[in-house]
Amino acid sequence: MEKTDELVGVAEGAATVALGPPVRRVRPRPLGAALALTAGATAVLLLAGTAWLHHPAVQAWHTVCLAITVQALPFLLLGTALSGAINAFVPADLFTRVLPKRPALAVPVAGAAGAILPGCECASVPVASSLIRRGVTPAAAFAFLLSAPAVNPVVLTATAVAFPGSPAMVAARLVASLATAALMGWLWLWLGKEEWLRPLLRHRHTGHRHGHSRWTEFRLGFQHDFLHAGGFLVLGAMAAATFNIAVPRSVLDTFSGSPWLSVLFLAGLAVLLAVCSEADAFVAASLTGFSPTARLAFLVVGPMVDVKLIALQAGTFGRAFAWRFSTATTVVAVAVSVLTGGVLL
Amino acid sequence: MKRPVQTLLLALTGAGLLHTALFTDIYLRYVKAGLRPLLIASGVVLLLLGLAAAVTRRPAPEDPEDAHGHDHVGDAHGHDHVGDAHGHDQVRDAHGHDHSGAPRIAWLLFLPALSLLLHAPPALGAYTAARSNDKPVAVQKGFAPLPATSPLPLTLTDFTKRVQQDRGRAIKNRAVRLTGFVTPAGEDGGWYLTRIIFSCCAADSQTVKVRVYGSEAPPADTWLAVTGTWHPRGTLGTRTAEAALDVRDARPVAPPVNAYTDDLPLTPS
Repeated sequence: MEKTDELVGVAEGAATVALGPPVRRVRPRPLGAALALTAGATAVLLLAGTAWLHHPAVQAWHTVCLAITVQALPFLLLGTALSGAINAFVPADLFTRVLPKRPALAVPVAGAAGAILPGCECASVPVASSLIRRGVTPAAAFAFLLSAPAVNPVVLTATAVAFPGSPAMVAARLVASLATAALMGWLWLWLGKEEWLRPLLRHRHTGHRHGHSRWTEFRLGFQHDFLHAGGFLVLGAMAAATFNIAVPRSVLDTFSGSPWLSVLFLAGLAVLLAVCSEADAFVAASLTGFSPTARLAFLVVGPMVDVKLIALQAGTFGRAFAWRFSTATTVVAVAVSVLTGGVLL
Repeated sequence: MKRPVQTLLLALTGAGLLHTALFTDIYLRYVKAGLRPLLIASGVVLLLLGLAAAVTRRPAPEDPEDAHGHDHVGDAHGHDHVGDAHGHDQVRDAHGHDHSGAPRIAWLLFLPALSLLLHAPPALGAYTAARSNDKPVAVQKGFAPLPATSPLPLTLTDFTKRVQQDRGRAIKNRAVRLTGFVTPAGEDGGWYLTRIIFSCCAADSQTVKVRVYGSEAPPADTWLAVTGTWHPRGTLGTRTAEAALDVRDARPVAPPVNAYTDDLPLTPS
């Protein structure tokens, strides 16, 4: 796969150089380049498919990578469609009217509103970005971004199914996720700087423009957001699949002895494995050697920070934002999980 | 990324999803069966998006002079129209800050799209199973009497429960038939009959294993229906009992459609 990757990059570079200003008017060229690229990628896939593609580890990597992508695509599509619709159809002042005026109050309200977006974490990134573009204070949008994948009914039901007979785990997940989301929103109000965000998000000149068809705006916004986020999704899926294959599950048991190490270890594992928030409860339930608090940390960190999400956030909000935000969220989520676990579990 | 390429990418991704989820069962290698309607809907939406992008003409006044004169203004204010003109993409790419034309990262989407259409990787198998922990078996309180059928088809999980939890020892001396694929045990040439289960997608896979005694290890990943009786080791009906089978007969079967559940096998149609 890396080989194909490189090829894509090289071919694209070549196309950019070849299609400089003088030849810009030649219409059929891009299509031709695309076809050549597709044919080239196909040839590489077929030719390289002889030896190393058939190594079991490579095949397992390929399967997991494709599985993460395929599983996430419908949710990403839902999220980007929503984001496109918010941009094109929702009046600019709707969110500012609905949310409390004071940002400090808007944060917990937006966090609780995360419960209405059913689905996993991929859907919430584009929606949060469109909320910011529509004038919602970033702190509230981030609280929504963090809480939505963890506190919606689908995910909580899955958690209850995975942990039969321990409703405390569902309650602890709900409380810890909401608390982390709200704390991160307030932390952004306190320390966050808008210049960490991509310029497009700072200027907020998007949305419906007079004289343009709303449907065309919706379609183009949808298409752009999907292609953009989709690329980062593939990148994140590749990273997650690499860790998934490289970390054999049997290694896990070595860390389960120490209560402190096990919390940190499972939090780290949640970041690396990038399991969808609708399924992570089942993975957590299978980690029987670990304390309930460590498993809670896995459930709280996973939907908020993982390699796939970091890639999506870096693409949507900018790299400067993504690494700061992800680091801070991990620290806050682990601390909140330990506290909640101590009280409820 | 140019508009025709975007169109092609959307259409290919949509076609890939429809190919895996609507026309074939390939999607079952990667995600749970319940996602099928969502995958089909996504494929249709992507195809429609591609179609809409292909048939709509750009508004007339956006050609060359606009592409030259307007894009810097657009850049500065950050509200240029998505995919306005492909001239914009060029300039933006050259300046290294893409604002809203589909960015370079989108090229990566070609990989899963082409992979789904042309080179769909196989389901997870022995490589993954050998490296994973056993899925913990849920505790079951009461056990119904076993049906009289012989050999009795059982799932790997049910067999493990009967061996380790059924105080009535109904499984004793019963011939059972288990279905799964072969995972070599490694050290001593022994092997396991295994199923990989996932709750959402292949990234959260878990493994159930039953050790098989009394036959040479077949090649890894071979799907088998194995008939045999419990291999006496440990005390039957307690945790000390090993989930293991003395094999009488093992015959190759086609991989079941529902390979990723621990259910009785559904054979491919």
